[in-house]
Amino acid sequence: MNEEVQRKIFHYLKNKKIENFVGVPDSTLKYFIDECLKNDNIIITTREEEAIGIATGMTLSKSNSLVFMQNAGFANSISTITSLVELYEIPLIFLIGWRGYLSDDAPEHLKIGKIQPKLLKIIGLKSQILTEQNWKVKCDWALNQIKEKKPCALIIRRMFHD
Amino acid sequence: MIRKEAVEIIGNYVGKNPIISANGFMSRDLFEVNDKKSNFYMIGSMGLASSIGLGIALKNPKKQVFVFDGDGNILMNLGSLVTIGSLKPKNLIHVVFDNNSHESTGGQPTNSSQIDLEKIAEAVNYKIFLVQSKTKLISILKNIKKLQGPIFLLVKISTSKERSKRVSWTPKTIRDRVMKSL
Repeated sequence: MNEEVQRKIFHYLKNKKIENFVGVPDSTLKYFIDECLKNDNIIITTREEEAIGIATGMTLSKSNSLVFMQNAGFANSISTITSLVELYEIPLIFLIGWRGYLSDDAPEHLKIGKIQPKLLKIIGLKSQILTEQNWKVKCDWALNQIKEKKPCALIIRRMFHD
Repeated sequence: MIRKEAVEIIGNYVGKNPIISANGFMSRDLFEVNDKKSNFYMIGSMGLASSIGLGIALKNPKKQVFVFDGDGNILMNLGSLVTIGSLKPKNLIHVVFDNNSHESTGGQPTNSSQIDLEKIAEAVNYKIFLVQSKTKLISILKNIKKLQGPIFLLVKISTSKERSKRVSWTPKTIRDRVMKSL
């Protein structure tokens, strides 16, 4: 996803009362994360589960939160998502960079990358893929989900090599 | 001093301030001796009580926020100490009840007896306190109110065969009670 759209997504969500951006950096999301940094609205944690914990505390305090991560970190976090976020129905938005979407991505990403959609489905976390065309509609979808107290995920595919 | 006694002493001191308690026997003890709407009983997600507590502390600067952690729990999320020590929430009191064991899973040892948890906390900007007796615990609690956090209170406890009942509130009820109390 291009730089301009990634930066716009941050401001769009911020204007719609997402107050906290917490997570572990990912290169697929780097312009989004850079915009969080520029606006001094970010907590970078040591692991993804930690970010989910902090965002849960903020959400319990009625302050809407987004957790960003790479899908490798999502795979790390599955037990936390099922036994905290889904169990207590904590309305968080996950923003996940999807490595291994391309079948010739770096080898360490291929296995999780291939089952990424299945993982989301199996744990029952509703998700939508963000693109340069549909991002506003999909962000609105996510904002609606959390309004109904449901956690959800927005996915950005890694479409390039570096 | 066993965990339940220490939980009761600190729980009484906390008043209406929020407590985020770790999974396993920690939450069960708190539920049995001092159930309150402002208690967040974490029943899964081992290791994350301090992270949830940090999120609550940052958003509620006028409340003192207590984390009731165990040695096994904090050892699973030592990175949390780094994040807390970097953000330095003045209102966070991180209590670790240390029995050198994973008591909830059958008393297997942790490595907290081999290292100094409080020194790790000190290295990452916490104010640290170490207590082994009820008398000292009570006197430290009286002083903590005046101090700026983050505070790390390591309470050495002994293991016990006493078992508290399970938390009977549903997770959604726990969530709603805590949200209303904040």
